[in-house]
Amino acid sequence: MNPLRVIEAVLFASDAPVRVVDLARAADDLDEDGVEAILGELRIEYERAGHAFSLVEIGGGYQLLTRPEYAGVLDRFETVPRSGTLSRPALETLAIVAYRQPVGRAEIEDIRGVSVGGVLRTLIDHELIEVVGRGEGLGRPLLYGTTTRFLEHFGFRSLEELPRSDELPVVLSRERSAEPVEEEGISKEEGDGEG
Amino acid sequence: MITAASAPPEPDSPDWYQVDLERFHGPLDLLLHLIRRQDIDVLDIPIARITGQFVAAIREVHDLPLERAGEFLEMASQLVRIKLRMLFPARGGEDEDEDPRADLVRRLLEYEHFREAADLLGRAERERALRFARGYQPVRSVPTPEPAALESGWDDLWAAARELEPAGELPDPQLTMARRPIPIEEKIEWVLSSLERSGRVEFGTLVAPWGTRPHAVSSLLACLELARRRDVRMRQSGPFAPLWILPPSPP
Repeated sequence: MNPLRVIEAVLFASDAPVRVVDLARAADDLDEDGVEAILGELRIEYERAGHAFSLVEIGGGYQLLTRPEYAGVLDRFETVPRSGTLSRPALETLAIVAYRQPVGRAEIEDIRGVSVGGVLRTLIDHELIEVVGRGEGLGRPLLYGTTTRFLEHFGFRSLEELPRSDELPVVLSRERSAEPVEEEGISKEEGDGEG
Repeated sequence: MITAASAPPEPDSPDWYQVDLERFHGPLDLLLHLIRRQDIDVLDIPIARITGQFVAAIREVHDLPLERAGEFLEMASQLVRIKLRMLFPARGGEDEDEDPRADLVRRLLEYEHFREAADLLGRAERERALRFARGYQPVRSVPTPEPAALESGWDDLWAAARELEPAGELPDPQLTMARRPIPIEEKIEWVLSSLERSGRVEFGTLVAPWGTRPHAVSSLLACLELARRRDVRMRQSGPFAPLWILPPSPP
């Protein structure tokens, strides 16, 4: 079988992004470079043929997605699964988790000024965040981080693709670092979380 | 309850900052709204004015659930505290130089920062939602993997039990229960009349005239019921020893 068509079949039949390393299992003499080359060919093929879908790099893998211009039509079909959108409190909470991960509930509540227990539960239920460890502070609080599903849901390739915080109009990193760090046990990872 | 924590009424209290509290996702959200709406420099917040407006805006706070109300009230009290410290600066304290508003400003800016981030995420989410994949639903509910023992009700337990049971092997839902053949009330009367006759009765003699299991069960239930009402006492020296039914202890 033509490895290109095998990979196409896997992408076609998958309901989530497939990682390059997994696609490499499609044929015996295939390595990741080979997969990348094939993905490039497929991308060009779909582009030239004017297909309604294209090959998109998302959530750490590759997936076939319809082009945005068909959204209006697809919305009218019951057979097409609809994507849900998150509430404002969920988005705010998720933003804090995304930029500060790993982060505990206390810090999130401190930033938002409201309790977030219910929102966290919803985000966990939707597999957008997960427990990634425990902090070192009082009671060893649970720390949360984002999941691959989070990347899929927002269309990011990886966490590096998040809008960087220094592109935002308000920057706080300097003021924060000037403070004596009192956050419970998460201070060490804080620098990494900003990426 | 708000008046207790509120500042003296502001001389200029226009109506325009009447807001719908439900719309705001917490006290910081409301505070930012008040500040941004008036083009106030966050680094130089007129605390007296903002405090007055904040307190006025949360007049309807008692309509909120207690937890949410508490969040707004906490912020109100913090604002009043800052206002007081601006009026009466601490002298000689180690933080003499620090503006009493500094911490609040830091929190506001930080919150605003994440509000912007949430906007960006929302935009990304909308763009992503324009593209469809096969059978893929970006947000889908999954069963909670965390321990839910305390939140489980009878329905959950029943559902779980049904899942365990291989289909088709469920017991017939129409259970037939035999009516209790001997009314306990009847036995109670029998116990009491026997007791009246002989002063004390051994359980075996109560059952002896019939000798069947249903009668024994009913008799025992009758005795237990009487003991519960403290109309009789029951005594037994050991397992399988004669069970004596006695009149209640004399007062």
